[in-house]
Amino acid sequence: MTATLRTEDITVRFGGLTALDAVSIGIEPGTVTGLIGPNGAGKTTLFNVLTGLQRPSHGRVLLGERDVTSLPAAKRAHLGVGRTFQRLELFLSLSVRDNLRVAGDIRNANQRGRIDVAREAERLLELTGLAGIADKEVADIPTGQARVVEVARALMTKPQVLLLDEPASGQTEHETQAFGTLLRSLAADGLSICLVEHDLGLVMDVCSMIHVLDYGVVLASGTPEQVQQDQAVIAAYIGTAEGAAS
Amino acid sequence: MTIFFTYTALGLVLGAVYGIAASGLVLTYNTSGVFNFAHGAEAMLGAYCYWQLRYGWHWPTPLAVIVTLCVVAPLLGGGLYLLVIRGLRNTAEVTKIVVTVAIMLGMVALSEWVWDPLVPHTNEMFFGYASHLTVAGVTLTTHEVITLAAAVLIAIGLRVLFYKTRTGVAMRGVVDDPDLIQLNGHNPQLLSLISWVLGGMLAVLAGVLITPISGGTLDANALTLLVIDAFAAAMFGRLRSIPRTFLGAVVLGLAATYVLAYFPSGWSWTSNFRISLPMIVLFAVLVLLPQDRLQGAAVRTRERYRVPTVRKAVLAGIGLVVAMILIRLLMVDSDISTMTLGMTFAIMALSLTLLTGYAGQMNLAVCSFGAIATLIVYHLGLSGTGVAARMTVWGILLAVALTAVIGAVVALPALRMRGLYLALATMAFGVFVTDMILSDISPHKLPLIHTRFSLFTQGSLIVPEPKIGLLDLHDGTTFLISVTVLFALIGIGLVALRNSGYGRRLAAMKDSPVAAAMLGQSLVRLKLSVFMLSAAIAGLGGVLMSSALGAVTEDNFSIFLSLALVMLAVSAGIGYVTGALLGGMMAGVGFAVVVSSFNNLAHGGTSLHGLYTSLAHVAALLPALVGVTIGQSPSGFLHDLFDGYRRIAANARSVLYAAGAAEAVLYLLALTGTIDNWWFGVGTYAGIVLLPAIAQAVKPEAMSQVPREARPELEGVGIDEPYTERVRAMLDDRLGLPARVNRPSSRTAAATTSQHVGIPAEATT
Repeated sequence: MTATLRTEDITVRFGGLTALDAVSIGIEPGTVTGLIGPNGAGKTTLFNVLTGLQRPSHGRVLLGERDVTSLPAAKRAHLGVGRTFQRLELFLSLSVRDNLRVAGDIRNANQRGRIDVAREAERLLELTGLAGIADKEVADIPTGQARVVEVARALMTKPQVLLLDEPASGQTEHETQAFGTLLRSLAADGLSICLVEHDLGLVMDVCSMIHVLDYGVVLASGTPEQVQQDQAVIAAYIGTAEGAAS
Repeated sequence: MTIFFTYTALGLVLGAVYGIAASGLVLTYNTSGVFNFAHGAEAMLGAYCYWQLRYGWHWPTPLAVIVTLCVVAPLLGGGLYLLVIRGLRNTAEVTKIVVTVAIMLGMVALSEWVWDPLVPHTNEMFFGYASHLTVAGVTLTTHEVITLAAAVLIAIGLRVLFYKTRTGVAMRGVVDDPDLIQLNGHNPQLLSLISWVLGGMLAVLAGVLITPISGGTLDANALTLLVIDAFAAAMFGRLRSIPRTFLGAVVLGLAATYVLAYFPSGWSWTSNFRISLPMIVLFAVLVLLPQDRLQGAAVRTRERYRVPTVRKAVLAGIGLVVAMILIRLLMVDSDISTMTLGMTFAIMALSLTLLTGYAGQMNLAVCSFGAIATLIVYHLGLSGTGVAARMTVWGILLAVALTAVIGAVVALPALRMRGLYLALATMAFGVFVTDMILSDISPHKLPLIHTRFSLFTQGSLIVPEPKIGLLDLHDGTTFLISVTVLFALIGIGLVALRNSGYGRRLAAMKDSPVAAAMLGQSLVRLKLSVFMLSAAIAGLGGVLMSSALGAVTEDNFSIFLSLALVMLAVSAGIGYVTGALLGGMMAGVGFAVVVSSFNNLAHGGTSLHGLYTSLAHVAALLPALVGVTIGQSPSGFLHDLFDGYRRIAANARSVLYAAGAAEAVLYLLALTGTIDNWWFGVGTYAGIVLLPAIAQAVKPEAMSQVPREARPELEGVGIDEPYTERVRAMLDDRLGLPARVNRPSSRTAAATTSQHVGIPAEATT
């Protein structure tokens, strides 16, 4: 279950505004790819293009060798694209466990190859450390844990690519550490992960490749070390120690 | 050629009125996010008000117009916003729809109270019919010219408002992001208020202008349904663009007059077709519109339902049947058929529990699906004649299956869109069924087979009872118990469904369509399947309802009845099977019984005649008043009641036993004829509703052990909620701030916070 999700020259325009301008990035199997940049840089728009919620004005999205640019979101999910949302999109009338189970139900109802929903849900609840709150209503749990529920739910569909939109916002330091460990182990199992995140500590820690977006263009791409040294990136996003202190 | 020009001019005039009405609808929808189903009803009230001033009190025309447009209309629109619409923040689309539907029904009831529908009220054209202008052989009355001019001025005025004024630009933004608008120095509430005032004025203007054009006689129902013409026009602009809305209005107006001009007047269905034109156009537009973009849920809504286990549902079902048998022993024959009718409505309401309660979709024309099923069974599913006539099982099954298929055809175009579109499409379908199918009453010769046939023969169908094997429902008691058992079975089936993988998928789609799609759920397929299932249940309920009535006319399937059913089921609690029971009972018999008993009292003569007539009118208004309160408790009143009982069962079981004993005594008293059935009914009802309060009074300590304290809504903190220590702790928790900043008394604590939040600083180190 490995595939690369790539974009080729993706451009998105909203009226006169160019939200993404010829963006080409790749998310490789077995790695965590970071996508960072200031607010409004186009990160979520790029996620929406990757997942089929936003049709690009120009360019292609490729999953492995297959062109998926014109496929709707549900079809891409069948091919193995999973995601979480920056604004939580949990199923609020269901418990934590049922949020996971329904993802399996959806998989079984819409795709070939049945999975044992109950067993898979229990396995993922253990893996993600949610077993203790499995019976709680999802509306009643704190944001940090709710983000983990979204990740676990996405994993229920056995995706090949996992897109995470600010999964650590709302998490405590402790939760973020555990989350980083989880991401590394998922990547080690061959999953392609793309991480949009403002917690640069986490990004630098888990990502092997980082793309920096600013005003819809890729400002820089490279390893954490390369990106941190990049003068343009520092000016646009990371800032300097002096700048932050003032 | 003159004929063509004349009809074109008349079409433009009609289009002008549609445009005025539709632009008001678009205006309010875009600034408050609430689609105003009462828009036509506002027009209707405005037209009646004008009649009252101009012809009732003989005011001069200009004064009557000014007072109607500049005093009554703003009060109507603004009042609605301040009293009801403002409270709909953070509610689901279903709640928003149902509340404005309730307002609409309330306005119709109000108008019938004040202006007796049996007495004709006529508004004449401004300057009379004689005053006219002739240009190039086309003659238009001055009234029609004024209408055209008004539409042009309004179209230009709205364009200028939206694009050239600061207020207008802010209005366009208010529904997307009220917070941002507020930060920019505008008051979003004030902007919404302005738009509802303007919306009211536009609706009333349309109402006043259209009445003389369409004959002059005021018809409350027809004017109220002007909202359908308006939204058919607004659909051209996807409920957003004012210029396209006017374009749609003109298309509609022209189409209507051309049908009148060029369709053979001999065809019996030409006039039906003309009336149904907006509905047909609406469907065509729906089919052609591109698919909606999936968007995330904007707000966390307030609706909550608890799902019972199947075991509990089975117990409740048995309880219901036993209770019905016990109640049967108290009843006289006429009560039995009333009760049966109520249960058939409850079955129709079950279709809404599934569709709306579980899946978050809407059907505003449940009774129309009942009508379709009834027609099918009437034409294809009867055996025997006269008193021996019965409905066959195969007939019922066929009707149910075909209704599901027709449901699929009706819903499919709208399913690609947001929930509101399905609501609109079903409502249009409901009116279409009444105007086109149930109006097909005079027999016409069918081609090829040369038999004379009409769908709704003579406007009234005699529908016999079903006979299923040895079970003949001709007997009243058998019928009553059978529908009760059927209700219980479907109810248990629905609970089982909700607890299955399919039910969870419905809940997922309802809570977050975008997340469900991203997990691989085809939303259209799921919506289609649940709509078909729901239409099948509605069809079954409808067939049984027709059979319980014995003979049905168009009025039994009126769109207003469907709307009342939806509204009452939602206000009872649409997420619960019990909500369907209660909502169906209220819609089917409850309020009708109350109104008719007051009317009977009134007709009984005596000095209290006036009082009883008024009470009957108040009772007719009640359903609407119930509906308007949904904004306050969007989960329905059963939700709160169930919470009360849960607490009683957990903490004060003795109260439950005492209440059971009291009820048994009450029942025995009624059975032996010591007390009237009426007192038994009132006593039981009051007991059920008041028991939580009674338990609270008797055992305050036990009852105050609340299982879990309700969490305040963080979004409302500082606005709706006071900013307390507990809220602060919750905020820290949600923001993921470490525990050590809980008491930021020193500078170090503050510094820690900034270091954690200021990520960039951390990253560079």
